[in-house]
This record gives sequence, structure tokens and C-alpha cells, in this order.
Amino acid sequence: MKHRDFDIIVVGGGHAGVETALVGERMGRSVALVTMDRKKLALMSCNPAIGGIAKSHVVKEVDALGGVMGLAADAAGIQFRRLNLSRGPAVWSTRVQCDRRRYAEYIVDYVSERPRITVIEGIAGRLIVASGAVAGIVTEDGREISGGAVVIATGTFLGGVIHVGQKQIRAGRMGEPAATQMSRCLQELGFETGRLKTGTPPRLDGQTIDWEKCRLQPGDDPLPLFSEYSRREPFAQIPCHLTYTTDQTKQIVSQSFDQSPMFSGQIQSTGPRYCPSIEDKFHRFAEKPSHQIFLEPEGNGTSEVYPNGFSTALPEEIQRQAVRTIVGLEEVKMTRPGYAIEYDYCPARQVKASLETKLVSGLYFVGQINGTSGYEEAAGQGLMAGLNACLQLEGELPLILDRSEAYIGVMIDDLVTRSTTEPYRLFTSRAEYRLALREDNARDRLWMYARRYGLLPEDVLTGFDQLRNRTDRAVTTLERRYVEVASLDGLATRFKRRTHVSLADLLRQPGVSIADCREVIGNSAPELADDEEALGRAAIQIQYSGYIEKQQREIDKFRRAESHLIPEDFDFSGVRGLKTEAREKLARFRPRSLGQAGRIEGVTPGDVAVLSVWVKRHEANGQAGTDSSGERKEV
Amino acid sequence: MKDAPIDDTIAAIITPPGGGGIAAVRMAGPDATTVMRRHFRPHRGSADEPLRPFTMRVGYFVDSQGSVLDEVTAVFMPHGQSYTGLDQVEFFTHGGRLVVRQVMAALTRSGARPAQPGEFTKLAFLNGRIDLAKAEAVADVIAANTERSLGSARRQLLGAYSEKVEALRSLLVDALAEIEASVDFPEDEIEPATLKKIAQAVLRAESDVDTLLSSYQGGRILREGFRLVIGGRPNAGKSSLFNVLLGQTRALVTPTPGTTRDYLSEWIEVEGIAVNLLDTAGLRATRSRLEQAGQAMTEDIMAGADLVLWMCDLSRRRVWSELAEDVRRIQTAPILVAANKLDLTPEASPESLGKLGVEGCFVSCKTGEGIPALKQLVQNRIESILPDMTDGLAVTSERHAVNLQRALEHLRTARELLTQNASPELPALELRAALTALEEITGRVYTEDILERIFSRFCVGK
Ligand SMILES: Cc1cc2nc3c(=O)[nH]c(=O)nc-3n(C[C@H](O)[C@H](O)[C@H](O)COP(=O)(O)OP(=O)(O)OC[C@H]3O[C@@H](n4cnc5c(N)ncnc54)[C@H](O)[C@@H]3O)c2cc1C
Ligand SMILES: Nc1nc2c(ncn2[C@@H]2O[C@H](COP(=O)(O)OP(=O)(O)OP(=O)(O)O)[C@@H](O)[C@H]2O)c(=O)[nH]1
Ligand SMILES: [Mg+2]
Repeated sequence: MKHRDFDIIVVGGGHAGVETALVGERMGRSVALVTMDRKKLALMSCNPAIGGIAKSHVVKEVDALGGVMGLAADAAGIQFRRLNLSRGPAVWSTRVQCDRRRYAEYIVDYVSERPRITVIEGIAGRLIVASGAVAGIVTEDGREISGGAVVIATGTFLGGVIHVGQKQIRAGRMGEPAATQMSRCLQELGFETGRLKTGTPPRLDGQTIDWEKCRLQPGDDPLPLFSEYSRREPFAQIPCHLTYTTDQTKQIVSQSFDQSPMFSGQIQSTGPRYCPSIEDKFHRFAEKPSHQIFLEPEGNGTSEVYPNGFSTALPEEIQRQAVRTIVGLEEVKMTRPGYAIEYDYCPARQVKASLETKLVSGLYFVGQINGTSGYEEAAGQGLMAGLNACLQLEGELPLILDRSEAYIGVMIDDLVTRSTTEPYRLFTSRAEYRLALREDNARDRLWMYARRYGLLPEDVLTGFDQLRNRTDRAVTTLERRYVEVASLDGLATRFKRRTHVSLADLLRQPGVSIADCREVIGNSAPELADDEEALGRAAIQIQYSGYIEKQQREIDKFRRAESHLIPEDFDFSGVRGLKTEAREKLARFRPRSLGQAGRIEGVTPGDVAVLSVWVKRHEANGQAGTDSSGERKEV
Repeated sequence: MKDAPIDDTIAAIITPPGGGGIAAVRMAGPDATTVMRRHFRPHRGSADEPLRPFTMRVGYFVDSQGSVLDEVTAVFMPHGQSYTGLDQVEFFTHGGRLVVRQVMAALTRSGARPAQPGEFTKLAFLNGRIDLAKAEAVADVIAANTERSLGSARRQLLGAYSEKVEALRSLLVDALAEIEASVDFPEDEIEPATLKKIAQAVLRAESDVDTLLSSYQGGRILREGFRLVIGGRPNAGKSSLFNVLLGQTRALVTPTPGTTRDYLSEWIEVEGIAVNLLDTAGLRATRSRLEQAGQAMTEDIMAGADLVLWMCDLSRRRVWSELAEDVRRIQTAPILVAANKLDLTPEASPESLGKLGVEGCFVSCKTGEGIPALKQLVQNRIESILPDMTDGLAVTSERHAVNLQRALEHLRTARELLTQNASPELPALELRAALTALEEITGRVYTEDILERIFSRFCVGK
């Protein structure tokens, strides 16, 4: 084999790049992590929190596949909360407010303990590509590093431009340089690029906030940890606070619309609708007098506060005035202004579901460059690309999680079948098999991959096997143990015609939660009450079992279409009988399976039927080449 | 969206419409044997034993409740050896149009999708059962088929039908956006639409789907013709009327009651609509096995009628009490009474019909009196159930009807869950299933639409 410096080169030590490097290392590969600042690994650019709706599911999935994000958040957490508890367990989500510095430190230490990872400081400027395959990188200062696979995890740094009012600064984050050469290199290789935008609020000095005027939001007890492998004693959590903008805020912001780069035309690219700036909020929802602002602590050793909900790119002076109109912030000192940032991305139809680019073999894109936004989205992709780069080096097929297996699968599939128009983030409503993709069963969904690829230590996996057995037994007990209806108090009215019901029947009642049944279960199945973890898992399984069985048929059907692969060299332009729009879309997106083809906008089931005919024919023609009869079955 | 249709299990009636001795239903696909086991109870052996390929077995075809629909012959052809190349099952039922339709409906309710034109052949090709040299031809046929169906779909979509389905879809997307916003943005200040309001929207959607579905009957009539069945006691003059309406002597007419044993089927045209006219054996208590068999068939045929023309003989002494009894008994189809032999009882008064609460008129097949009036009544009935052609609001495709039915069931469940205060992800699941069913009609995807509405309606995001 030709000499190479490293098996895998990761460009960018953000949330994506770190997971890539770690999984590569775990699979026995030597990894170069090329990043601008070795002390800023996995630095949180914006909100100092990990998780939240749908994102927490990804954190759990990353954890189940041996990633570090959950561990780091648990270790650096200063406030832990679970969201959506009044709804069903499928949409429960964990969010951990972190000490920003501590989080990065944890990751820096974790990475430094891995023997096969070499952190190299520098800015990657160019890729070395030979006959369609990537062979390494060259840094902006001219150092050459060769490798078998390159993963681009550059976040908001590619062609990054920061806007504060009319002021524009080339930067990847406030105070950090942008990567100025890589985008041109990618364009020269034939990649199509575009611009996206995001923003962040100013930071405030907590010592100048009148906390009395804000509503306290305490953390949860017991601590809802992310990782199954974290242990943490209860501690005094730092609360968040909730406050509101006032009429004056609205007045100041609305009068300054013309000074915001968002409206002046200075920023052309699209920002996320789910994360609007404060000027956007007052602009688009003019009838709304006031907006809520969450005051989130930035960490333990700092008094800095992150006013979540107040993202802005207004001139610094106006920001200063505007924050002081918020309830409780009348005297506040602004420590840093908010800003908007524009950066380059490559529409993700240019990558395969493995995250390898279609143009250059061995080159992978993850995170912002694929048009996503968010730490968790980045981490999920980073992990998958790392795994797939290793598999590729070993000559094996990539692992592609599908939409029925993981939020990571939903996200990547969305990315490769849709045109990005705004930064992409996950929502639970993007998952059609939402009831099956839960926080509590992330390990059940993914453990076999962790085992197959050796992503977790064997004793961890064995421990999980035991938990699964205990859960199964708990399910059986709940199904078989009956209680007298008369003893059920409030719940009794639901079972008018019966004298006894099983604990499982009880749990399956709409509107009945596990908490409602705790006491009954404790009385009639005390042996379960001791194993809180197995019981909780069993109860959720039972609650959803009817729905999941119904959905299973859909999932089976979906999987069959997914497994009908389209050859990579298939020529879509040669397919007759397709509408022009469908043909163009297919040729652009190059779906990997018939199932995926059907999800591309503008492609109808009829088109898929036509396509399937031609795919079959293509396959048969391929075989005809080696046909012993020598007969050419060309048509 | 989610189903590349080629992996569905599909089914279709493969014999031509109209009465024939035997009708065949073919089902092919990965679930074919599972669905077969659910519906076929062989007389010999058990339903669960391994299926013997290419062996005809006789047994009952049962619906999902286990009620027998017909005695049928069934044959199983394993994948790799069948016409389509997939697991394939064929049922041979008795020819009654109603029976095959019921068989078909049972299969679709168990998950088989009505096949599109040419789809079995397409599968045959896909699975290498047809010579590759024919590939081009097949591809063209399929393309033509989809294009034609697309073309007609588009034409359909130009009319009110499309607007209706779109409006329905929009209503559901709105309802879903309300639910999803509260699930995905629990910390944002979203004024939640009350569950009651959402339930009301769902109820509205339900009634819209119902309206669309009821137009399916009209649509089917356009496609398959209107089934007009002449029934009545023996000797009432059924065969005579059959001949009169047909304009030629086709049926045997004798003074002996019980003349007609088998049924007769002919086609006539009424105002541009094809009408399938059927003459049946008279219904009465009898010991004759032959006549009993004929009568059983009559019951069956009447059950599949779009309209029963019930005849009575005005010259019979107990005509009114008999008629009252008969009218009460016939529950399966709408009826119109033709009181015959007016020439023998010119004094008969039309009020007697009104008293029975049925529509009808007095006729004489012999003199032709009252026949034009009867024709007019029949025509009115046909028109009343035909879709209003001016707004094109007709569901003509069985596939659409199946999808609408599915949507309706999901909507009902969703509303139940909403009223039971279930956790929102559950009604959301049902609403999505309903949307998916509609989406297969309109060919539009909805997830982005839901998000779009959330973002345009609510100020979410911190
Ligand atoms: C101002 C701002 C506001 C944001 N607001 C939000 C928000 O509201 N919601 C949200 O979900 N997300 C937001 N984000 C995005 C979020 O921070 C990113 O999605 C997330 O950090 C992406 O992780 P990553 O690993 O892909 O990249 P990053 O965390 O950006 O890390 C990239 C890393 O790569 C390094 N790097 C970049 N280019 C090179 C190069 N050429 N050579 C070597 N090293 C390189 C950088 O030094 C950095 O360490 C915001 C980001 C910024 C900057
Ligand atoms: N006077 C008179 N006789 C009629 C009229 N219509 C039918 N008949 C006679 O009634 C007898 C029975 O007529 P069909 O038409 O065979 O009666 P049907 O109902 O078909 O009888 P089945 O087939 O035996 O059930 C025949 O002798 C007809 O000529 C009518 O309007 N006036
Ligand atoms: Mg007769």
C-alpha cells in the first residue's frame, strides 16, 4: 500500500469532527484532526445547551453508537430538564444546559486520551485529489498531509462573514478567522455551493440582572442524564429564568429595521425560520406585542448569561438599548453583541446517504456544509461519516440507518432527497415512525450496530443485553398480572364491564401515564418496582404496542422499497416514460434506492414504477455481458 | 410517497365485468399467502398447513369477521414460478358481480392494493418472467399506462374533485400543524387550538370524505353501468317487462309460475347510461330444488342491484298485503314498484302505492300503458345517484375509493383519540395516516407543508 500519513483526516474539530475522529480511532484507524485551535474542540458557538426536542433523540443515538456528546453534556451540565413530559414518551426530550468551557475541556481531554488521534492546528485550504479519489489536504500555510479518507467538518467557517449592523467581518465565529480557501477548492472540483445564514444573541452580565422580576425555571430531579454510561451525584443546579420583551423593545427594534442587515439587503441568504432573529419576530408577527426570552447561564465560573430568543444583527448600540427594555434587564450590561453569520454550504444532494460525496471518492461532508444547523445534527453526521470512512477503507459496505431506525437516518435521508432552502434541523414531526424512535429505546434500535462494529466495550453491551431481558420479563408480568377494577379509584370508570384488568390494559388506556399507575403496580407487582429502569422501558413498550404493531406493516413495506437499490452508474437520462421534471430531479439527486427515489420532490409513484422497470432492465443487461450464450440482449 | 408501488401486494378482478359463470381474483406480492390464509378456509386440511403449489383447493372465502362470502376454488403459485414471479394466489368465485366485489374488498381491507392496469404484467417483467426482448414494449406500455392514468388524473384534478381533496388535505394539514407545533415547540408561546376545535375540524374532514365516497357509487355506474334488476313473485310479468324494456322478445313468457329459473342479462341504454337489465326467477316458497337454487341466486343478484324493479300482479286477490310484505323484506337495494296487469284491473287506485311508502307506478306489459312513466321513474333514479357531471365531483377509481375509505377510518380513530384526551402524538399518527391515504390520490407530500404552516402561523424558536 502507498504510504499515507493518516488513515483518516478530519477537517474541523467541532461537534461533527470530534465524533468522526473518535469513531475512526475506536475502529483502529489513525486519525488526524486538523483544526484551528486545539483548545476549542467542540466549542458551542451559540446556545450553551445540548438536546431539546428531537435533538435529544440524536444525542441518545450518538451515545448508543459510542459517541461522546452525551457523556460531555452530562459531565458539563449545570441544569438538566426533560421537556414534553405531559405528552407521550415518544416525544419526551432531554435538554442539558452546559458550562460552555467545561464542555470543551471535557472533549479536549477525552480526545487527548485517544492514542491514535493526532490533533494538528492549522487551516485546511485545499484537497489533494487524484483520479477521482481524495488523497489528502494542504493547509493554508502549505503543509501537506496525506490520508485515505477526508471528512470536511468545517461548521460555519467556510467563507464565513459576520454581520453586526452595517459592519461586516470575515470570521468563522466571533473572534476566529474564516476558512477562506476551501470553498474555492470545492468549486474547482465541481461542487455546487450556496450561502446560508444563522445568528446569535448578545451576551449579558448576570450580575446586572434583576432576577426577582423573572420567572424561575429550576432543573429536574432526579437528573435526566443523556448517556447510559454517565454517573453523576445530585448537585445544586443553576436555574434558568424566563422574561419578556416590552412595548419599548418592540418600538426600538421596529424603528431600526432599516439598520438590520437582514432587511437592508446586506444579507441575501436564508436563515432558519425556526430560529428567527428578534427583528424577524417583530417584523413577521407584528401583531404580537411581546416575546419570551429565556435567560440561560453560560457556566459555573462565569456570570455571563445567554438571552435565548434575542438573536439579532442590529448595530451594537441599538442592541444595547433594546436589551435594556426587557423586563429585569433594565440595568443590564451587555458583554458581547449578537451577530448574524453567513457561510458557504454544498447542497446535500451532492453526497450519498453514507455522506461520501458523489464527486470525489473518499471525501465526506458533515454538519453545516450539508446545510444542517445544530450541534446534535452535526454530531450525528460526524459519527456516521467516521464509521463509513472506516468501512470504506476496509472495503466494506457503508452503514445507512433508515428512517424507521433512527433520527439520524431521518435527517440524512431528508438531506439527500430534498433541496435545502434554509438551515436544516430535526423536529419530531419529520419522523414518520415517531412512536418507534424514542429516547428510551435508542440502544434497542442501534445496539446491534455497536456490537457489529465494536463501537462500545463488550461489557457495556452485555449489561444492555441483561437490561433487555429484564425489560421483556417486566412486559410479561405487566401483561399477566391482574388487578380488581373496584380497587382502581379514579380509573375504574374506564372499565365498566369488567371486574379485573391486567396492568398492561391499564397502561394502554389513552390519557393514562405511567405515573398514574405507579401505585397500582407497586401494590400488585412489587418485584417490578425495584427495577425502575426495566419497568419504565416495559411500560412505554406496552403503551405503544398496539400502534407500533400497526405501523410495522408500513415499516416493512418501506424497507422493501429501501432495499431495492439503484446501481450507482445508472443513467437516469436514458429512462423513457418519465415526466421531464421527474427525470431532471432524479438525475440531480441520484437516489440510491427506489424508496428514496419516491421521496424526491416532484417524483410520483408512477415515475417510480417506470423507473423500476428500467433499473431491472439495467441490472439484467449487466448480467447479459457475462452471459455464456454470448447473445447481446441490447434493445 | 413512501411506497414504491412495486413492492405492494396487489389484487384485481381479472375476469371482465358483468355476469359470467365464474369470476377470478388474482393477488400477487410478498403478503399474498398471509392474506390468503386469513381469508381462505379449505374444506379439507387446515388453513395453516403448507400451501401446495399449483393445486386447486375448494373451500370457503371468509371476510375478516369470518363470515363466508362464497365457496371458491383457490390456487397458490409460489414466487419464481408464477406469472408475476411473486407469490401469487388466485380465487375463482361464483360469477355474481357482487360476490367478486366483496372478495376484492375483503382482500383490500387486509392490505392488498387494487392493481393498476398492466401491473401484473409489469411485475412479470420486473421479476424476469417475461422475455427481456420484450422489455422495451413493456416499458412503453407501462409508461403509456401511467401517463394515461396521470392524464386522466390530471383531468380529474382540474375539476372540483381536486379542489375538494385539496381542501380536505389542507384542513388536515392545519389540524396537524396545531398538534405538531405544540409537540415540537413545547416552550414557545403557542396558543393551543383546543382539542375540541381540532376534533371539530376532523369531523368536518370526515363528512367531506364521506361525500366523496358516496360519489364513488355514481362513478362506478359511469364505469360499469347501472344494474337494474327485475324482481317479483312468480308470474308477476317480470319476463314480459324485460322484453318490453329490451324492445325484443328475449325471455320466455308463459302463464306457468316459475318459468324463469336462471337469470337473464342484457344491456340497454337510458339517456346515455349503460344499463344492465336482469330478469330473475320469481321469489316464493317452493320445494323444487331447482327453483330454490334459482331463487338463492335472485337474492344474490338483488343484493348487488343499483335498483330493484319490483313487480306485482294487480289481478291477484291479496296483491297489497303481499306487496307490503315483499317491500319490507327487501333491504339490500333501493326499490321501485311496477304494479303490472293494469289492463285486468282498470279500477286499481294509485293511492294504494303511496300508502305502502314506496315509489312506483301502474303498468300493463300487455297494452304498454304506464311503461313510459315507469321509464321516466327509472331514469330519475339513475340520475339521482349519478355524480353531478357539471362539477365533476366523482370518485371513479376503485383505488381512490379504497384510499378514501382508509382515510375515513383513520379520521374516526383520530377523533376518538382526541375526545379521549390521548397524548397528541397518537391522534397525530392517525391524521398522518389519513393524509398519506389522500396523498396517494393527489401525489403530494405533506411534512414540509406542516412545518411551513407552523412557521407561518406561530412565532416559534428561541
Ligand atoms: C453565530 C452562530 C449562531 C448559531 N446559531 C445557531 C442556532 O441558533 N441554532 C443552531 O442550531 N445552530 C446555530 N449555530 C450553528 C451551530 O453552532 C453549528 O451547527 C454547530 O456548531 C456545527 O457543528 P460543526 O461541528 O459542524 O462545526 P463548528 O462547531 O462550527 O466547528 C467547526 C470547527 O472546524 C474548524 N474549522 C473550520 N474550518 C476549518 C479549516 N478549513 N481547517 C481547519 N479547521 C477548520 C473550526 O475551527 C471549528 O473548530 C450557530 C453558529 C454560529 C456561529
Ligand atoms: N293481462 C296481462 N297479462 C300479462 C301482463 N303481463 C304479463 N302477463 C301474463 O302473465 C303471465 C306471466 O308472465 P311472465 O312475464 O312469464 O311472468 P314472470 O314474472 O316472468 O313469471 P316467472 O318467470 O314464472 O316468475 C304470462 O301469461 C303473461 O302473458 C299484463 O300486463 N296483462
Ligand atoms: Mg319469467
